[in-house]
Amino acid sequence: MDKQLELLQGTLDMLILKAISLGPLHGYGILLRIQQISKDRLEIQQGSLYPALYRLEDQGWIGSEWGESDNKRKAKYYHLTAAGKRRLQTEAEKWSRMAEVIEGILRARPEEV
Amino acid sequence: MRLWKRAGAWFEATLGRSRMEREMDAELRFHLEARVADLVCGGMKREEAKRRAQMEFGSFERAKEECRAVRGVNFIDSLVQDVRYSLRMLRKSPGFTCVAVLTLALGIGANTVVFGVVNALLLRPLPVERPSELAFLENNHYGAGQSFPNYQDLRDRNRTFAGLAGYRASPMELEANAGAERIWGYLATGNYFAVLGVKATVGRFFEQSDDLHPGASPYAVLSYSAWLTRFAADPSIVGKTIRINRLPYTVLGVAPKDFHGTELLYWPEVWVPMMMEPQIERQNPWLDNRNTWNTWVIGRLQRNVSSRQAEADLNGIATELARRYPLEDEALHFKLAKPGLVGDLLGDPARAFSLGVLALGGLVLLAACTNLASLLMARATDRQRELAIRLAIGAGRGRVRRQILTETLVLSLAGGGAGFVLAECVSQALNRLRAPIDFPFQYSANPDWRVFLFALVVSIITGGLFGAAPAWRASTAKPDSVIKQAPGSCRGSHLALRDALVVVQVALCSVLVCACLLSLRGLRQSLKMNLGFEPQQVSVVAFELGLAGYSEEQGQAFQKRALQATEQLPGVRSASFSNSLPLSIDQSHTDMIVPADETEIPSNERVSVNAYQVSPQFFATMGTKLLAGRDFSWHDGAKAPQVAIVNVAFGKAVLHTDNPVGKRFRNGPGSPAVEVVGVVEDGKYESLTESRAPAVFWPILQQYNSTTTLEVRSARPATEMVGEMRRAISRLDPELPVYGAGSLGEMLGFAYFPTRAAAIALSAFGVLAIILAATGIHGLVAYTVSRRTHEIGIRMALGARHTQVLRLVLTRTAALLALGSVFGAILVVAMGRVMATIVYEVESRDPLVMIGVFLTMALLGLSASWSPARRATRVDPIVALRYE
Repeated sequence: MDKQLELLQGTLDMLILKAISLGPLHGYGILLRIQQISKDRLEIQQGSLYPALYRLEDQGWIGSEWGESDNKRKAKYYHLTAAGKRRLQTEAEKWSRMAEVIEGILRARPEEV
Repeated sequence: MRLWKRAGAWFEATLGRSRMEREMDAELRFHLEARVADLVCGGMKREEAKRRAQMEFGSFERAKEECRAVRGVNFIDSLVQDVRYSLRMLRKSPGFTCVAVLTLALGIGANTVVFGVVNALLLRPLPVERPSELAFLENNHYGAGQSFPNYQDLRDRNRTFAGLAGYRASPMELEANAGAERIWGYLATGNYFAVLGVKATVGRFFEQSDDLHPGASPYAVLSYSAWLTRFAADPSIVGKTIRINRLPYTVLGVAPKDFHGTELLYWPEVWVPMMMEPQIERQNPWLDNRNTWNTWVIGRLQRNVSSRQAEADLNGIATELARRYPLEDEALHFKLAKPGLVGDLLGDPARAFSLGVLALGGLVLLAACTNLASLLMARATDRQRELAIRLAIGAGRGRVRRQILTETLVLSLAGGGAGFVLAECVSQALNRLRAPIDFPFQYSANPDWRVFLFALVVSIITGGLFGAAPAWRASTAKPDSVIKQAPGSCRGSHLALRDALVVVQVALCSVLVCACLLSLRGLRQSLKMNLGFEPQQVSVVAFELGLAGYSEEQGQAFQKRALQATEQLPGVRSASFSNSLPLSIDQSHTDMIVPADETEIPSNERVSVNAYQVSPQFFATMGTKLLAGRDFSWHDGAKAPQVAIVNVAFGKAVLHTDNPVGKRFRNGPGSPAVEVVGVVEDGKYESLTESRAPAVFWPILQQYNSTTTLEVRSARPATEMVGEMRRAISRLDPELPVYGAGSLGEMLGFAYFPTRAAAIALSAFGVLAIILAATGIHGLVAYTVSRRTHEIGIRMALGARHTQVLRLVLTRTAALLALGSVFGAILVVAMGRVMATIVYEVESRDPLVMIGVFLTMALLGLSASWSPARRATRVDPIVALRYE
């Protein structure tokens, strides 16, 4: 297995929003989905997942309700709100712009300067 | 909108907290179980999987805490948690808690009592409308008093006051359900109540139209308590006739319950229009007299007028008055003062005194704080392991700090609460206290919101002060090193800090002990001071013939008969009568005295002279030494040449001679010349602190005064004597109210009051400081001994003797004690000015007091460290070494 990358500061919120945008999930499900999509290359502190969820819910970007899990257990499912959808979009745009800029800088060659 | 939503979420979070906690718990547990299930699926053993899942997740509590923080309930939640935890910790060490709360209760209680008095005297405004607009008028001639014509001029011509009211505290004879009694009332101008904005509880008050014609408004307003106690709260009192000074007055109304006139220390029972002055003070009508300065004036400033503008306005009028009435109003100048304490007359010394006492009270509190800080430091050291464990399992340092501060705050609030209750009890006792004088001296120190706020703020500041150091220390503890150590083996730099605290404490304590000794010495000095008379074995009663309707001839005859009746009582050595006595409240002055050969008073030589009217034998009865010349005789009557007896200071100040017998002077330009026939020793007339005031004694046969004080010198106890004197007088006139009866010593209570109050307050502070310092030193030594038991055991096992062990334990304490005392001495010298305001005529550098302070501190140190030091010498090496 490749060495896991530590999550960049401030990106957890965006990843959570993205994970939920694909369909409602409980907390553990969010963790699994992010790991699955990232092919286990990201390391997420499990303990910091829940405070992030509470924060997003408090800001009105996600909602929650209690439902049943696959193995018939009660679990709290999170879903994206309309505001959350907009938020995800702007965050994602911001991120790709940032990534582009940084990549451009890193690829700069002496003759381009 | 956003705010509302947040507030709503916060409420829901706070109120529905238990639901939120449950859900949070369920959610996290679900996470863990799902993870375990996955790991088991992956082929891990169940136990192993559980451990692994837990490790991956990290601290459960921490995650929860962060979730709560997001919801904003964290603060309240953790506060409740902290308080609960604090209470549990405090319950677990009841000894510590008791000592701490008691220390605080004493410190805060003492300060709250002092503040309560300051509040009642200086801070609490008069219970009238917009009290901040009120000002009291003073002049440079007589201080608080204005002449009534001057008052009228000021009232009519000023442009800066919404109203100026005049009043005067005056004795009156009131006939009520229980017979005639001499009481204190106010003569007040018609606009008095209107200017103050006070509304009648029953009926109405007198008004502007009652200011027009002297003698034409026989109306009275009763105080609420007089209405209650003297007229049984008669609901139909309005319109009824009562008798004051044996003349009928119609009751107009009753004042509100909390309104006690405009002087905090003169509570009147009745108000009568100023125009009735000639009827109330029958022998001395002064409404038209520009040279009788008897009216106190209080005014309400117009809005947007500063007191400086008002003073300028008044002084403009003063210049004009001085031009028109040069004899009376020359160089007249007005200034405004805070109302309530006869302007600055009582106000200034009262303010200086109470601020001085408050400052010393602050020192007591500071001593209590250092005590607690050092207690808490010791406790924090003992709790290091507990704190280290809390830090290790994930508590934030900030959180631990806050928890410790919460603990001290809980302590200080408990102490403050106990102190407030204590202060309440003392204040109740103070309220019941009545000076043993004929004087409406009443004040109410009932704690109001200001006192409560004071206690609260002081508690919180105290908590912050003594909790800061331990909290800071605790939060910097290093968990790993502390936990590895064996309990009780840690030594730290904190001992140095505790040492410093003890030094501070000893310094504070020696300042307070010094203040206490100084005040006691001052009291002793004032008690054995030469007053110019011997108060022992003298009994007095007083009566007022003018109020009772006696004319001058009738009065003179009655005074003689009363004196003869008293002289015949068994055990009387000598008896006399006079208008007043030195050091009583009622003092008269004259400043129109000129040597007989001069026709005008040189204005720069106006000397204020205390004046008394006395009968023959007055000096013998009072025990005043006649230095030269003769006493008055019964022949010095109206037809004989005018004579006077003066004191030594009078001779020097007015007649410029050491031997004034035979010299002549006039009582004002144009009046007949008076011959000095005798000289008596100087005495104290108005206050114990005055120095060598001139005094003149007139023969009462030549200058009648209806206010009569009867003095008797007798070896019989005053209570017996006074009873017999009362009976003798009532045989002559059964209706005549007698007042101010008692021994002369009791009568002097007023003069001694400040000195006594200082001695009592400062002694209480001194005792408190000693208790605090003793516990502080005891604590330090006991702590040192318990920390060093191991070391002492080894030393003793190696053959150290008891004296060596004692030296080991006590050297440091002695050094700290000495250092603290020296600092204290320096502080005392630096605080000399504060001391001077509260302690009577004592030099703060008095060597005897200094020696006393050092002795007290040495004794204190010795006794406080005795028992722990003894314990050190009894350490059993075997037990000490086996321990741990």
